[in-house]
Amino acid sequence: MRPALAIGVVELRRFFRDRSNIFFVFIFPLLLVLVIGLQFGENSSQGRVAVAGDGSALRTAVVDELEADDVTVTFDDADDVREQLARGRSDVGLFVSDRAARAFDEGENVRIEIVTAAQSGSQATVQDVRAAVRAVGVEQSQVTALTTAGLDEEAAQDALARARETIQPPEVSVSNVDELAQEFSGVGQFDVGAAQQTLLFVFLISLAGSATLIQARREGVVARTLAAPVSAAQVIAGQVLGRFVIAMLQGGYIMAASSLLFGVAWGNIALALLILSMFCVVAAAAAMVIGSVMDNDSAASGVGVGTGLVLAGLGGSMLPLELFPDGMRTIADFTPHAWGYEAFAEIQRHGAGLVDILPSIGVLAAMAAVLLALGSWLLRRSLARAL
Amino acid sequence: MSADTVPDESTRVPDAGDDVLVVRSLVRRFGGITAVDDVSFRIGQGETYGLLGPNGAGKTTTISMVAGLIRADSGATLVNGREMGPDRVDVKHHIGLVPQNLAIYPDLTGRENLRYFGRLQRLGREALDRRVDEVLELIGLTDRAGDLTKEYSGGMKRRLNIGIGLLHQPRLLILDEPTVGVDPQSRHAILESVEALSVEGMAVLYTTHYMEEAERLCDRIGIIDEGRIQAEGSRDELVRLTGGVDHIRLNGSGDIDVAADALRELPEVEQVDADRRTLYLTVRDAPTAVARIVTSATRAGLSLTDVEITRPDLESVFLHLTGKALRD
Repeated sequence: MRPALAIGVVELRRFFRDRSNIFFVFIFPLLLVLVIGLQFGENSSQGRVAVAGDGSALRTAVVDELEADDVTVTFDDADDVREQLARGRSDVGLFVSDRAARAFDEGENVRIEIVTAAQSGSQATVQDVRAAVRAVGVEQSQVTALTTAGLDEEAAQDALARARETIQPPEVSVSNVDELAQEFSGVGQFDVGAAQQTLLFVFLISLAGSATLIQARREGVVARTLAAPVSAAQVIAGQVLGRFVIAMLQGGYIMAASSLLFGVAWGNIALALLILSMFCVVAAAAAMVIGSVMDNDSAASGVGVGTGLVLAGLGGSMLPLELFPDGMRTIADFTPHAWGYEAFAEIQRHGAGLVDILPSIGVLAAMAAVLLALGSWLLRRSLARAL
Repeated sequence: MSADTVPDESTRVPDAGDDVLVVRSLVRRFGGITAVDDVSFRIGQGETYGLLGPNGAGKTTTISMVAGLIRADSGATLVNGREMGPDRVDVKHHIGLVPQNLAIYPDLTGRENLRYFGRLQRLGREALDRRVDEVLELIGLTDRAGDLTKEYSGGMKRRLNIGIGLLHQPRLLILDEPTVGVDPQSRHAILESVEALSVEGMAVLYTTHYMEEAERLCDRIGIIDEGRIQAEGSRDELVRLTGGVDHIRLNGSGDIDVAADALRELPEVEQVDADRRTLYLTVRDAPTAVARIVTSATRAGLSLTDVEITRPDLESVFLHLTGKALRD
């Protein structure tokens, strides 16, 4: 075992000595998780509203209502608000004039100007703004009614507050019967992207690393290794171990960093690591196959990256599997990525246990066994070729 | 043994029990080509044995079998009396291989390369630390031990390549053309290192196609061509295979034919050929005979302008045995 460990450790050392890996291993995956999360994440902001107008009770009340609905609110002067709308940086502009603020203070009818941006999502935000303004108006009219009846304003607001505590408002439950919406319901903004990028990069890094095996063979290092008291089986075990550890580090890093930076929920962490480790064995074995079949390290890097990207695309690491048409979904099942994706989805979204993900783990284990056997056989042949 | 073997007490092969390496009738074929054909030789402790032959002669294939990298189709290799083969992990510890390629990791430092291969040789932590420092000192790379080897010069890489082979103090060191592509200064340093090894008692198998290296380093030489050992022995033994005669060329003016007749009378001279201005002599022990030859030629009226002595070397031996030059 010691020679295999030494071979594995040296492979790891060589991997990290290549500085170009620092960007691709540590920075690039997180950038993609961020971008995908911002673009497609379910928990992204419900809308962006730019508010113009001086501070007033009216402005404060409306903004409080909007923020309670997860709407992002920014403040600016009227011209800048219009520019933001024109450039699509805000969905809705809310212009709270001094006159409206005074009318609100005096319990009179209030008119607030709302301007929407051109983008499609703006209409939903307009509805949020309308609802917020309506809620503020209702509360203000209630206060006005009470003060008209003889209560001073403070007592009126106090009475309304007590009434809100006493009377439970009707609860509105909205059920979305769309399967896709149900699948992603409650999923964190970055959760899906993080799982996808973990699978994509683990496989990509492993396959791209197959070139180092070719270099070692070509430079005679493998032959020299075999001249030492080391069996061919130990050489193979060391090569697999090195690639497995690199893959695990890559995957573990993305999981840990995405959890810390973006709050990604990975579900049961032991199961998540089980999925990752099984996927890493598949990736390491696949790297061995490419590194053994090919003799040109530059070509192997290209083939590795290309294969990694194609498999990632087919296996749901670029577009969620749930969006695939049936035919493509069937094809996806031939990739390890799809099984890794499914398993991650089960524990991330549905709180699944070991039994629930066993089918995915089983398929990944079978793929790993086949690729390991093939990779070992091919590596033995390539070692003989190298001698 | 299939090759010409010249018995000589001074370089007699030690008893089989003392041999570090015994190679018996190795044969290896690749498809229809027989790369190594019935090769046998043995190396005793502290002995340096050279396999001298041109590229493609079968040297590397032979040492690949000796090092247990490939399996022989037939024949046997004994290292320290134990049979060697690709699966004999227990025997491989006794050999150190210095391959012709620079078998080092360019993206590791010199020290890291040594430590890696030392671990493969299962050296313990303390032994590994000690041996790495000793080898770095030996190959003169202590100051550059922390640099990546891709930043080394060709000579430094060659020295490291050899150092890795020495790390675990093997009983048999196999060097496969270790000076190919090396500058003269580094080459000299490498040859000095190899000379020192036999003094320390290490058995050395040295393959080369440089005649000068084989002459300088090797106690015994096996001349290999087309997969077969054509002859084996010490340098002097091999040279005697050519007949043991030297050649002297005399250039000058005067009556060449008269001078030729005079020289034919000398007992040391076996043959004299002449053209318009040059005499070609075949003689025994040229350094001793040359004074009498020059005197005789001058007395015969030849005014000499140039005298050249050519003694037979391994190149001559190779030519004699194979009918072609060593570097063909």
